[in-house]
Amino acid sequence: MNSELPDSVTSRIGVSQTRRYQVTARDIRRFAQAIGATDPVHSDEAYARTTRYGTIVAPPLFCQSLTYDEVPPEQLPADGSPVELAVPIPAQRAVGGGSEYTIERLVRAGEAITVTSTLKDVYTRQGKSGLLYLVVVETRFAAEDGQPVATEVATYIKRV
Amino acid sequence: MTTPRAVLAGASLPVPLPELAVTPDHTQLFMFSAVTWNRHHIHYSKDAAVAEGLPDVVVQRALLGNFLARLLTGWLGEAGELRELSWKVLSSATPGRTLRCQGDVIGREADPAAPGLRCEVRIIDEHGTLIAAGKAKLVLHSLPS
Repeated sequence: MNSELPDSVTSRIGVSQTRRYQVTARDIRRFAQAIGATDPVHSDEAYARTTRYGTIVAPPLFCQSLTYDEVPPEQLPADGSPVELAVPIPAQRAVGGGSEYTIERLVRAGEAITVTSTLKDVYTRQGKSGLLYLVVVETRFAAEDGQPVATEVATYIKRV
Repeated sequence: MTTPRAVLAGASLPVPLPELAVTPDHTQLFMFSAVTWNRHHIHYSKDAAVAEGLPDVVVQRALLGNFLARLLTGWLGEAGELRELSWKVLSSATPGRTLRCQGDVIGREADPAAPGLRCEVRIIDEHGTLIAAGKAKLVLHSLPS
């Protein structure tokens, strides 16, 4: 199964990091612009008050903007890839493989979100051009009352 | 266009969703890397991307997911919300190329307490290459009684 993986990798599976962010209307507006979402419920408070939400809400996958830890640049891998993927495997080239994203409710401007990032799994698969390492990271997003807002399980593919 | 309510009420499945065409450019990739604080060089340096065997800088996995989310929420409007979305990246997408985001409603849960729809979604580039494919679950808001 995972015979290619050293103990230094398997011992990290299940390890979590937690951070907390205050979400602002500006964060939501910028995320909406970046994905090309033009619905004014993401940017116009007066309009948003007339909707069922009563305030500015984020696009459904907004919590992706809270996923990667903002470590100082010198702590990033040489390719700038997120530290969440930086497990000690003999493969450096990373690409995004896939995602399973669950939305409990839309994030509102002004609320604090607690982010818990966990290395869920690392496994290998034989690809067309050699051995692939798949790194699975789960990120849970919770509101101040502890209730879940969203969860993403993302798979990254690393090649030698 | 068949509305979400009409699909829930019994329209013959599958029901195709209105296609969303997007053409991400370098500016959009830059903005998305910035708002997600994704500093991975394959999204901004063509030299680095090519050195890693990629055709050019590549559209982020997460941004592809947001295009699919826009496909779904654009059709839903105020009728409901996206509850689950899963997708796999099957081929690299590069800036300047048009991506056609498509989907079909393939199932419905008519339970009045939790009405929902299940969809298949995909992104195809201008050459017909399948860039991403996935599934989604939508929940419809209860109608006022």
